[in-house]
Parts: sequence; C-alpha cells; structure tokens
Amino acid sequence: MATVTPEASLNALPRADGSARYSYAGYTVTASVNGPIEAQRRDEHAYEAHVDVIVRPSAGVGGTRERHLEFILQSSLSQIILVKNFPRSVIQIVLQVESTPENAYVNTKLVQASLNLPIIPALFQTAVLALLSAAVPMKATATSTVVAVVSDDGSKKIVADPSPQDIREATSLHVLAFTSHDELLLSESEGDFTVKEWDGVYENAQKICCQTASKQDGIDMVLDDDASSPDMRHFLRSTLETKVASDLHWK
Amino acid sequence: MAATVPAPSLSFSRPTFAKLSPHPYLLTNLTDPENPCRTNGRAPHEARPVHIHTSSLAHANGSALVRTGDTTVVCGVRAEILPVTNIPQYRPREPSYGEEDNDDSADVDELKDYDLLVPNIELATGCAPQFLPGVPPTTLAQTLSTRIYSLLHSCKVVDPKGLRVWYTPPKETREEGAMEVDEAQEEEEEEEERKPELKAYWVLYIDLLFVSFDGNPFDAAWTAVMAALRDTKLPQARWDPDREAVVCSRSEEAKMALDVRGLPVACTATVFLEKEHGEDSGSSAERKSRHWILLDPDRLEESLCKETVTVVVDCSGEETKVKSIEKHGGTVIGRELMRGFIGVAEGRWQEVKEASK
Repeated sequence: MATVTPEASLNALPRADGSARYSYAGYTVTASVNGPIEAQRRDEHAYEAHVDVIVRPSAGVGGTRERHLEFILQSSLSQIILVKNFPRSVIQIVLQVESTPENAYVNTKLVQASLNLPIIPALFQTAVLALLSAAVPMKATATSTVVAVVSDDGSKKIVADPSPQDIREATSLHVLAFTSHDELLLSESEGDFTVKEWDGVYENAQKICCQTASKQDGIDMVLDDDASSPDMRHFLRSTLETKVASDLHWK
Repeated sequence: MAATVPAPSLSFSRPTFAKLSPHPYLLTNLTDPENPCRTNGRAPHEARPVHIHTSSLAHANGSALVRTGDTTVVCGVRAEILPVTNIPQYRPREPSYGEEDNDDSADVDELKDYDLLVPNIELATGCAPQFLPGVPPTTLAQTLSTRIYSLLHSCKVVDPKGLRVWYTPPKETREEGAMEVDEAQEEEEEEEERKPELKAYWVLYIDLLFVSFDGNPFDAAWTAVMAALRDTKLPQARWDPDREAVVCSRSEEAKMALDVRGLPVACTATVFLEKEHGEDSGSSAERKSRHWILLDPDRLEESLCKETVTVVVDCSGEETKVKSIEKHGGTVIGRELMRGFIGVAEGRWQEVKEASK
C-alpha cells in the first residue's frame, strides 16, 4: 500500500476565526474554530474557558459515538489550550467529517454505536491545525496517530495508519497522542493485547508523533522499517511555515 | 438552654470546608503528615469493596445488582427473539453446528451487523444532585453506553453460537416404494434434506440503571454487565414450522446458561494534581508538581481531577490480557505509570473475581 502524505490547508473558511482542512489515510475533516467568545450561562466557568467540541459525521446525525468522540477530544484539547487565560468564555471547535475510507470488504452501516478509534487522529490533527490558524494561545501542540497490531502467521506485526481491512483483521487497535513536550496526552486502545505489545505500540507511535525531536542530531533514520509513515510533527510545522510565508508574502 | 450557644468560631467544620474549597480540602487530607489519606478515608490505591448480587429481578433473563461504596447500579438482561426474516440485509449462514466453526471474525460481524447486543444506560434522576429530571440523556450517559457497547464487542464476551435458533427440517415421509432405493443414495438424500436452517436470533437487551451515583460509573456498570450476562439463562427455543414462529419452552430445567467468555474487569483511576490554578504559566520542569493517582474515585474526587485512566484486564488465562486502555485529559500518566497501573488493575481483577463467586 502506497502511503500518501497528509495534506492540509489552513483558513479555508472565510467567516470563522480559524479553520483547517486535513486529509490523510482516507479521512477528510474540516474544522472551524471560534473563540474566545462569550459563554452561555450554563457553559460559563469562573476560572477557565470552556472548550466546546462538536463532531458532525459525514452522513446522518451524530449519535452516542460522536458524543464520546467529542468528550475525548474536549478533555485532550482543553489540556493544551491555555484555558486559564480566558475565564468565562468559550472556544468552540466544530469538526465536520467529509469523507471516510471506503472498503468493499467491510460492511458499512450508517448508524454505529461502537467506538470509532481510527478517526480520532484525523479529528485531533484537524482541531490542532484549526486552533493554530485561529491563533488560540496554547501551551503545546500535539500530534496523534493510530496503530494496529496485526497477527501475521503467529507473529505480531505493528502497522501504522492501518487500512480498514487491516483494522478488521487486527487483534488490537491503539490511538496515541503526544504533546510537543513528548508527553503522552491521549491513549485509547481496544482489542486484545499484552503489556509487551503495548510497549511496542507506544514506541512506534512515539516515533511517528515525535520524530522531529530525535532528528535534530542530524541522523536520518533510514533504517526504520516504518520510514514510510509520516513525521507528524514535521508536517504540522511545515504546514504552518507555508501558511506564514504566504501570508507575509506582500512584505 | 439558649444561653449556652457557643460563640461562633472562625474555623469551618469539615463539610463546610469541603464544599467551599474542595481542592485545598482534598490536598490537605492527602498531605496530612500523620495520616495521609483521601477525604473518604481510603488510601490512594485503595478501591471500594465490590458487592454483587445476582438474579434479583424476576422478569429478566439475567440480572445483577452491583454496589461499590455509594455507587449502586442494577443491570437486567432481557432476551427477545429476532426472526431472520425481520433482519434487513440478512445474509444466510452456512450451517455449521458450532463445533468446527472457529471463524471468529465472522462471529463478531454477526453480533455487530444485526445488533444482537443492545446496552442502554440510564442515570436515574436523584441518583446524584447533578442529574436533573426531564432532560435528554446526558453526555455521561451517552459516553458510558458507547464504551460499554464497544467493550462488549471488542472483548467478545458473548458467544454468538448461543444466540442462534436453528431448525432442521424433518425427514419427509416416504411411500412404500422408496424403501427399495439403494442405501447409500438414501443416506445422501437424507443429508441433503436435513440441512439445518438458521431461523432466528436471540437479541440481548442490556439495561443499566444507576440507583445511586458516587463516582466511577464505568467500573460499576461493567461489573454489573458481566455479572448479569453470567447470570443469564435462555429458554429452550425451537422453530415451529406450522406457526412459522419460534416457540420457547416453559420448563425451568430446559433453560440454558449463556456462554460468556472470560472475565474482563475494568479499573479506573484519576490523577489529582497539587496545583489547582496557574499551572499553565511555568516551564516544563516546574509543571511537574506533585500528583496522586486515586483509584476508584468518588464524586468529589472526579469533579477535581481531569486526567482519567481506565484499564480493562482479564487475568483468566496464564498471561494478563489487556482488553482496553482509555486515558485522556492530562499528561501525567506516561509509559511507566501506565505499566504500573496495569499491575494495580490485576489486583482489582482478583477482588472482583472473589466478589462474583
């Protein structure tokens, strides 16, 4: 499978404070960020800003699954946003899923109640990009990835950014997010795995999410077996650099 | 007697202090030099004991009442017949009477595609002050039901074989002349005719009701689901070709216990940080203030902590199997702490196993 590189465009929506469109591994998500704006009475918090995350699925209306995704994203994003700087206000993040990977082999149902782990990195990445585009003060950026453990003739193989077919065959599926301080921000796993396997997954995911830091020594990690998987932190940086360069072009 | 009213003191009583400034209250308790413990008197790594009572609901096929401290949850499993003719997009199965059927991935699809497990969670009005009457299901209730649903499927606790209702068409009555047919041919024909057909499925409606809510809803709910499923007995069901319907037998002895695989146990903890406010402005080193990992948090602790970790483990086999890890809302728990916490979850598994006997 040819790994396509992630693509993103910033400020795609003219009326929002910030917005981003991100597509990778079959997922396309558009996010808009408005904030800090005045909070309604019920959302108002005396000491910090309320982070409001809304996830809209590509088809149909959001159900319990979307509520759960919103809850996961909200608790992670409010950790990296400087919420204490904006008491009594709201930072609203709306995430619209535009497309999800299609697979002829996997039966797709419109309404599914089960947890949708592989979509979390796409949503998370888009939200971070949109927050950066809206210039919301943050204490760190974060990167996220999904990793599957696939049983391959008795031996376990770790696959980064698995396809729907891989996910179907996987014994376990893991989503991890790291902040730019290399701290584990989010970890969601399901399936059947051992502590040892989780360690392997952790190392793999850390490599994908935090690679730029280790590349600073000037050593290019060519020997990596998953060298094809993208370097998320570098991607985040280069996207913003391109944006800043084009914005300041008139100077 | 009115004269003996003491002069109003300037210090607050414990409950007042807890209500006015909960964070310093819990912090003071945890940093008490003589007896550091949580406000509920437990040590940080001490969970509340679990009490499980099964078969308390008469009209459910299986039920359980689980109590951990002041969190009480009732779970009832109700089985209903779903004829395959009522399933849209039904794909007929190859008849394989179970034994040689080892295709696990196909089984999972069956449960998921036809929605044979339907969990629902209700947080009753009045179980805790934050649940108001007449409002739509809260985010907490929706999140919990998604988590229970996912875990039921990802752990493969219910064996779909036990939910199928098969029907084998009887041998056709033959005329006298047919008896003369060659033995081998007859055998072959018999095989052909007696091919079992799948006529219906059992659907399990798993309903959870929180009677009282004092933190850590997921662990209690999951323990209740597991206990209720292990308690579930399905009546003997057969397809009646004349009525074109599934008929269940009334006899108690003919009831079959549901096949439940393994005993996954959920274990939740929250991370309590020393600093309540102002942790944002500080360098990376400074932000590493003290923290406590509070196992099985109560409502007060949950309201003060942002980072939550839930690990589901199953130690039934020789090696501990982790079924799920959910961690969000903070950056304290890294790799080492997570490894340690899986060890703590193993301890919790033993406790719950003892309680479910």
